[in-house]
Amino acid sequence: MRTSDDGPARAPDPRRGAATRPWRRGRWAVATMLAVVLAGCTGSAVDSDDATSPAQAGSASPTASGAAGEPVVVGLVNPVTGPFAALGEDVNAGFEAYVDSRDGVLSGHPIEILSEDTANDTATAQEAVVRLVDDGADMLAGFVNSGVANGVSATLVETGVPLVITTAGADALTQRNAADTIFRLSYTSSQDAMPLGDYACRELGHETVAIIGLDYAFGWEAASGFAKVYEDAGCDVVQEVYAPLATADWAPFVQQLDTDADAVWAVIPGADGIRFMQAYRDFGIELPLLAHGATTDEQILPEQGDTALGAITTLHYSAAIDTPENAELTEVFEAATGNSVSQYAEHGWAAAMVLEAALAAIDGEVTNEALTAAIADVQLDAPRGPLAFDDFGQAIHTVYVREVQEVDGELVNAIIGDYPETSQFWTYDPEEFLSGTPLGDLRGTWE
Amino acid sequence: MTTFVGHVLNGLSFGALLFLLGSGLTLTFGLMRTINLAHGAFYALGGYIALDVGRRVGGYWLGLVVAVVAVALLGVVVEKYVLHRLLHRELPQIMATVGIAYIIGDLILWTWGGRPQSLPRPPGLEGILRIGGLVFPWYRLALIGLAVAVWFALQRTLGTTLTGARIRAAVDDEAIARSVGINVPIVFATTFAAGSGLAAFAGVWGGAFTGLSPGSEWDILLLALVVVVVGGLGSISGALVAALLVGLLDEFGKWLFPSFALFTLYAPVAVLLALRPQGLFGRSERVA
Repeated sequence: MRTSDDGPARAPDPRRGAATRPWRRGRWAVATMLAVVLAGCTGSAVDSDDATSPAQAGSASPTASGAAGEPVVVGLVNPVTGPFAALGEDVNAGFEAYVDSRDGVLSGHPIEILSEDTANDTATAQEAVVRLVDDGADMLAGFVNSGVANGVSATLVETGVPLVITTAGADALTQRNAADTIFRLSYTSSQDAMPLGDYACRELGHETVAIIGLDYAFGWEAASGFAKVYEDAGCDVVQEVYAPLATADWAPFVQQLDTDADAVWAVIPGADGIRFMQAYRDFGIELPLLAHGATTDEQILPEQGDTALGAITTLHYSAAIDTPENAELTEVFEAATGNSVSQYAEHGWAAAMVLEAALAAIDGEVTNEALTAAIADVQLDAPRGPLAFDDFGQAIHTVYVREVQEVDGELVNAIIGDYPETSQFWTYDPEEFLSGTPLGDLRGTWE
Repeated sequence: MTTFVGHVLNGLSFGALLFLLGSGLTLTFGLMRTINLAHGAFYALGGYIALDVGRRVGGYWLGLVVAVVAVALLGVVVEKYVLHRLLHRELPQIMATVGIAYIIGDLILWTWGGRPQSLPRPPGLEGILRIGGLVFPWYRLALIGLAVAVWFALQRTLGTTLTGARIRAAVDDEAIARSVGINVPIVFATTFAAGSGLAAFAGVWGGAFTGLSPGSEWDILLLALVVVVVGGLGSISGALVAALLVGLLDEFGKWLFPSFALFTLYAPVAVLLALRPQGLFGRSERVA
């Protein structure tokens, strides 16, 4: 068995020192040097858990009073061309909408937003990251494609600039390859799928399930997350069917589904999700449909129309969440873009909230180390509900059980249950979880 | 038995979709020897225009007509100002049309956004046919009929009318065609317009099947190329047979060997081409 050497050791303490000065922006170099001289060793002092550290900056740092904080530069790295453009644009628009709604100032710091297109391409993203860091970015937010995020993460970690991942789901980014400066407030591929394993078995009483999914890392990790929890709850996965990305005709796949199963569980986001739902109804499959929440995402739900009705899914967000925070997001985002909200819009919005909360906690100069430490301790009420990061930098959030219903002529992911404070490890022990086979490699072992 | 019939029908309907995708390309690529890699972009553009007209003004058929006419006109412009200058020069044609495809793709993204869209099915074809244990959507059944109708119309036009004779003459020997009074530029522009219009027509009909999303133009192009190449360059009947055959092989491949789904479409194509490099109905090539 392949045991992970670094998993258990990785979690609590910072791996990297503070050797990140050369990457700091030139414009503030003088101020930075001054601050370094004045503040002495404040940078390395901020690893205690209560990061408020009131005394240390007090009189020493020139910007400590916080009246008019130094400007903070945020680099958005999302695809705004290519197949994932709609996702990247929602993230960017969500971030910008939040900053605009606060008149461009978060916790006393004027915010400057720089945006680069990753074009869903690793080389392009690599250049984008280097350029943004050279241009003085204090924080990066973005990434949709996990492959791109993986490809760029080494470069990024070297710069020391904290990154908040806003969509890319690969489990490893906040598990086996976790880094201190990388946070993620979107789901890991398996995280939001796991609660439905519990719900399907215990609440809905479906004793057997057929899995159908897209044949790539996200599909495998999500399916295995669902299957692991579902089988550990005492129920049984009887079939796994995977179809290639951009499958034009879903009929041959839905026709194979084992109709003796109690239900079907699907993970098929994007345009494939529209074609899948259509085929599912076209060929008269009567089994109850369960799915990963991305399968009935608000971006595609209007296009799926009635074909999606009745599907039960789990996700950390739904446009139907009835809280003041979500109402504000909905109102501001829709006024700014003319588009309906989506989980991606919420990710961008929440990334700005995280930055705001982190800046509020920094008493002194905004260094990479200070910002990283402050983000790690952020706890806030986002539109999705309570949000915090675990020791690996992954969001802990409520996962909602949703059902596609028609309300006032529009399709919504109505909330019918919730799993508060869902960790990426579900209820498993992180060390044990990480010492096992990676979920993605368990594809095909459940049936 | 009903399962088997269901799979046959489905393979045929997917094949019919492939034929619709490929028919326009067969005209332009196969017949005119003009490589138009913007074919998939024309398909997507047709779909988006129909969707937009349908949502703004209402009316499925109006959207269909507007889309076909608009894209056919665009085809004329592209042929006249770009491709006609590049006659018989394949590489520049490839570069130019790939560029055009990217421009159209970005304009689509700019105009209609990146969220996946789905075209409605034609009015009256939303239902599902149920006979005994057989469940089959009417729309897919209609696709099969439509493919045969398009094949028949193209075959008749090209095979038996004077227009068809002119196109074939202009393609086979441009100089002689000109010398007997055929207006070759007009013939080419018309043919290219027809090919582009067919792409848009397929986009409107097929869009209800494949959906529309950024990047899908390249998936569509690939499928269309399969049909043209397997069928044999320029052969309308070859394209129909190839499309139905590939559709059936793909369907049965995915049914019987689902783990190899990625290969069920292209593996048979590779084998077919290894056995018959000129395609099923291809004429032996004249070296230009």
